[in-house]
Amino acid sequence: MIDTKLIKQRLQACTSKEATFKELVNLSKQLARLSESDKTEDNKVKGCESAVWLIEHQENGVCTFQADSDAKLMRGVLMVILSLVNGYSKAELQRRDLVAELGEFNLSSYLTSSRTNGILTILKQVQAN
Amino acid sequence: MTFNPHLLRDAFPILATQANDQPLVYLDNAATTQKPTQVLNALLNYYQTSNANVHRGAHYLSDRATGQFEQARTQVARFINAPANSHVIWTKGATEAINMVAYGLEWQLKAGDEILITSLEHHANLVPWQQLAFRTGARLRILPLTSKGEWEPEYEHYFNKHTRILACTHISNALGVHTPLTHLLSCAKAVGALTLIDGSQAVAHETIDVAALDCDFYVFSGHKMYGPTGIGVLYGKAHALDILTPYQTGGEMVRHVSYNSTEFNDLPFRLEAGTPHIEGAIGLAAACEFLAQLDRSAVQTWEQQLAAWVYNELRFDTRIELYSPEQGSTMVSLGVPGIHLIDLNTYLDSQGIAVRAGSHCAHPLMAQLGVTGTLRASFACYNTLAEAQHFCSVLLDAIEILSDD
Repeated sequence: MIDTKLIKQRLQACTSKEATFKELVNLSKQLARLSESDKTEDNKVKGCESAVWLIEHQENGVCTFQADSDAKLMRGVLMVILSLVNGYSKAELQRRDLVAELGEFNLSSYLTSSRTNGILTILKQVQAN
Repeated sequence: MTFNPHLLRDAFPILATQANDQPLVYLDNAATTQKPTQVLNALLNYYQTSNANVHRGAHYLSDRATGQFEQARTQVARFINAPANSHVIWTKGATEAINMVAYGLEWQLKAGDEILITSLEHHANLVPWQQLAFRTGARLRILPLTSKGEWEPEYEHYFNKHTRILACTHISNALGVHTPLTHLLSCAKAVGALTLIDGSQAVAHETIDVAALDCDFYVFSGHKMYGPTGIGVLYGKAHALDILTPYQTGGEMVRHVSYNSTEFNDLPFRLEAGTPHIEGAIGLAAACEFLAQLDRSAVQTWEQQLAAWVYNELRFDTRIELYSPEQGSTMVSLGVPGIHLIDLNTYLDSQGIAVRAGSHCAHPLMAQLGVTGTLRASFACYNTLAEAQHFCSVLLDAIEILSDD
């Protein structure tokens, strides 16, 4: 798993939209894809423009998420989100302002309003019990 | 290329927008067009000088409002060459117009009757007929048209003694292709079927002559032809409108009401229950005036040239599939296998380019093409060659970036 700081540094270093998109494509390649059998209706996040699946595992109070999408840029964003949220307890995740944290990744050229809605849903789902 | 779109752009203030820090390139005109100041001023002027309810109060403002509202009907009737004002029914848009016909004809249909549509229809000209078929036991049949708008002679049997209605689009909203209207209409007439044409994608681009088409109904939305949203038109021949049961009842559409019965008003009012969209009608008339000032055939040629320019720029790129026709279309519909449409759309949007990515409300057509959707760039009178070029170059950048595996 790539660490959050490195991802943030690389995205913040992007000075153009093209560079940001290229970085998201790079990140997308590092996302572990879900198997077809995990891409169920139940695992689908509602309200995203592209198909997004999110699976949660909890072990000894620590949450680990897996996610996938049929759209490449979204897979890049999911990589960012997973780096932010994996390895924490539910209580810790709920205490954090994940929207604000994601905002620090210089993704505004990507996070258009309609798509942000989908991402907010993902973040909410991560925090939900 | 004689037509000069630059001369028109000042009439559309919204085109000066910066979208995501880039100059807006608006290529989603098949979804809705932008509005010229002429139309915006008509709306403002109506509320500033004439606002009152129509057809009732005998007072100064009401007379003014009624005069402008009925004048708008006259202008729209002239715009489509309808024989008289009473043939123009105001609706919310093409969708409502089609629903009005589908509900209004219900009493005419029985099990065993056939309703014929084509495989190029928008859901608006499919679902109302499908539901009508469910309610009446009639059969919905789909005439297979190719993505080039062609059909095989062997399909003539789709027109038979059971065919009661032919409902077909003038131009496909997803592909920009013309349907073979003349042939379809003559086949429908030969078997005595009523005919409805969805002109939503045609009105902004070509001169509509309902008398020459000789169809029973012609419908379109104002907002796709530089007019306001929420106003549209159902044109019908007298006998065709006469047999429609009013889809809605209430005020305005009646002559006399008692607790036991109601006498309906004459056309067009019989089909216009309630206070109408007065400023919408006036705005639509202003849009007709705007179009009438233009050399319409030069504009259409220009829009087709822009689409053809994009088509030719992309046609030899093996990564791109083109679904729209090479010529005669004012839009380009494409896909890039292996790249998600949403990713392409997101990239284009980040560069200020507005297009439509998706199924274009035509799921069965997308299934016929073997795709879930397409990316559609659709042109209007104010689009420039520089915009077409910019679209292509940004699209190619997007493909380059997104193809990196």
